[in-house]
Amino acid sequence: MKRVIRDSIRCRKATRAATLALLLALPLGLNAADAVNDSASVSKVAVQLDARKAGPRSVENLTERAIVRDYRAAWTSMSHALEFNILDPIDVPFAGDAKRVLRDTLISQQRSGIRQLFTDQNHRLEAVFYAPEGDVIELHDTASYQQQVLDGSKAIQDQHVVVHYVVLMTPSADRWVVRQLQVVPQF
Amino acid sequence: MRSVRLIGISIFLALCFGGVCTAEDASVRVPTSVVAGEPATISTTGSGKATFYLLGPGVSRKSDVSLGQEIHLQPQYTRNAGAYQAIVCADSCQSATFYVTGGKTAGLTFLVHPSRVPVSQSGAVSGVAIPFDQFRNLIFIPLSVSFQLTTGGTSLLTRVVRTQEGIAWFRSASGHSAGALQVLASLDEVSARRVVQQVASDPCNLRIEGERTKTGITVQTEPVHDCSGNPVPDGTIVTFTATEQNGKSTVDAPIKQGVARAQISGPGGAVISAASGVVMGNEVRIGAQP
Amino acid sequence: MKIILPIVLVVATVALIFLALTGVGRASGTVGIAVGSTLVTQKPSTPEQALTNLLIDAKRHNWDQAFSDVSNAAPGDKQSFIQDWTGSNGSLRSFSNLESFETRPMHITNDQAQMRVHLHWSTPVGPIEDVRDFHLTREGDIWKTVWPKNQIPSVPAQVIPVTALRWDLVSGGADDEWGAKNIDAPHVRIVSMNAVDLAEGAVVMGEVVNEDTIPAFVNVNATLVDGSDNPIDDESSFDRIAHVLLPKQVTPYRIDFPNINLKNVKNVRMDVKATLVPASADPIIGVMNQKLDADVQGKSVLRGDLFNQSGQTVNIPHVIASFYDGDGKVVWVSDGYVERALLPLTSAPFTVDIPKSLAAKVQNFHVVVNQYSIGRE
Repeated sequence: MKRVIRDSIRCRKATRAATLALLLALPLGLNAADAVNDSASVSKVAVQLDARKAGPRSVENLTERAIVRDYRAAWTSMSHALEFNILDPIDVPFAGDAKRVLRDTLISQQRSGIRQLFTDQNHRLEAVFYAPEGDVIELHDTASYQQQVLDGSKAIQDQHVVVHYVVLMTPSADRWVVRQLQVVPQF
Repeated sequence: MRSVRLIGISIFLALCFGGVCTAEDASVRVPTSVVAGEPATISTTGSGKATFYLLGPGVSRKSDVSLGQEIHLQPQYTRNAGAYQAIVCADSCQSATFYVTGGKTAGLTFLVHPSRVPVSQSGAVSGVAIPFDQFRNLIFIPLSVSFQLTTGGTSLLTRVVRTQEGIAWFRSASGHSAGALQVLASLDEVSARRVVQQVASDPCNLRIEGERTKTGITVQTEPVHDCSGNPVPDGTIVTFTATEQNGKSTVDAPIKQGVARAQISGPGGAVISAASGVVMGNEVRIGAQP
Repeated sequence: MKIILPIVLVVATVALIFLALTGVGRASGTVGIAVGSTLVTQKPSTPEQALTNLLIDAKRHNWDQAFSDVSNAAPGDKQSFIQDWTGSNGSLRSFSNLESFETRPMHITNDQAQMRVHLHWSTPVGPIEDVRDFHLTREGDIWKTVWPKNQIPSVPAQVIPVTALRWDLVSGGADDEWGAKNIDAPHVRIVSMNAVDLAEGAVVMGEVVNEDTIPAFVNVNATLVDGSDNPIDDESSFDRIAHVLLPKQVTPYRIDFPNINLKNVKNVRMDVKATLVPASADPIIGVMNQKLDADVQGKSVLRGDLFNQSGQTVNIPHVIASFYDGDGKVVWVSDGYVERALLPLTSAPFTVDIPKSLAAKVQNFHVVVNQYSIGRE
């Protein structure tokens, strides 16, 4: 009898411990998922550029590489900013109207408590216009990524999307910056 | 065992409240397209309370709504062109996407290069015009942009170009005379003006004359012009070189009022030459001091 | 035991102080002491000692003592003697320190001696070496240095109008509309480039011209690239270029790649950067009496005189010379600073070195003058 009671008490204690462990593990697991997402949003941005149709000026090799590098950096910064609702990351890679609109988005998100996550990004760029003096380039970006919308910690949307962006980039002192980033239904 | 079952049910319910489960009790209908700055209406079906989210360029709104009622979007929320997501969450979340497009042309971004150009250069001046609406949205419908280049009242170029992918551009030669080249781009009532300075080309027929004075040799150029007859701007450097028996002397002198002058010391005879940039002038022989 | 250690320490300290006060390095040739020199100079009983005393006193700015080491000194010469060492008018010498020196006897008799001195100066533009010959004479049982009297140029008071063109730069506002206020960077072009191998490493040199109608601030960079298109090294011209170029002005440039051999280099990628800068066409500095010569050590040099034709003092003139072979190719670019300020309407001599291995190739040369003036852009 004593043994049965002892076993029962042990069993209850074990159950309580398991429940406690599970409840403790949940937030840790979520944090780990966040960390994975964090590193995902920062690192997984693939960009390819096709500049064969650019005109009137043809895009130089070095310029192609610079645009790919700086566009990737712009999306990485933007994703980071939209995920954590901070303004600093968009300061350097964006200029003009693109920066203004992004800033408004971030301020609006800060007020509403909404966050957006962009992961597994793939950007296929096509250069459609390159100015004679090389001071502006227009790109069509067929972007596919996983978009998550969070209200606080609650996920209200999680979907894979394909979006068409018209991008204007201009050269600044040491890099190309995104001056216009506008979504269109199709090219 | 029972307690384990209870734990499992609790976890399932927690996940469902987190919104990962879906239910079919709300839907949202959006307009097919909206012009920037125009009001828009979103309709919902179902009943009860819900949370409405509007995500778009420059917008991230959250508000409580009643399902079955229309949601009216003020013009301030549709200013920026792009894709907008309307999400309604009750027991589950439903979303729909609509697009806002640019409105009537209200401005022109006009990039012209270069800011200074030598005269009579083929294809030297180019410009790019990008129309925008009043909210600085790109406009992709084809529009006709008129480019006009005038210098000293004379028209150098008048051309109408249709925008492609939202951009129109031109290229032209520079004029023959130094001075301001007015470049105008216009579209309907909207226009943008830029000025390009046409400057003299390299000096042409650089000629010098010199004479011996008490202190040495004074040498100066004739009025310096380019090959089109435009006076070379003041401040342009002319290098005078005096080659003597014992050595060489040089002076970099700027053009002032069309002429460059220099003083070179030395008692002996010298051969004086001049150069400006990579253009060479004539030579002059000056005798020794008596 | 307690008292022995303090006693040992005191004795050692006194001994070391004594050595420091009286001891001088006994290397072959007399070597100037860089730091922590002796406080008491020895009796100038030899020409070497006399000159060393003078140089140590000058280094320490003991002007009374240094002036007394000079043979032909008249009381009125003291100020000029001091100025000769310390510089004046914001010249490069005014910001320099004599770090060390080496003396070598050239010729010594009973009463006369000729000594050669290598003076090592530390300056804001890097170390500068100056080689000078001094004449010494015996006076009784001591030797004294004959100091060459330097004529400080005297410029009569006058008013000189400044009519030279000046360019100012007005920056646009922070909120300038895109494309509305556009000023292109000045157009500059590299007109020549020559890469050579020397013992110290590879050198890339040539000339740059400002083709525009406005002044440009110019810098030239070069990247050495190997056969696989990978960069080996990249360097800048630093101060071996006249950075501010007025319209149509030409400057040489030289870029050094220490310890790199051109045999691994497949390509040289040049990059010239030009930015807008305010500038003035004043002062005009003539470069007179340029000629190839040999210095006191027999090394090939280009000598000349800088003549300041304006009314403004040029504090630190900087001479950059390009040397050409018979085909007009730039074979060397050399530069040197003039340690004295260039007063208005006065001249100052300059010298720039030519490497021994290249001297024979030089058929022609061109000199440009850069200048740094206090309080002017």
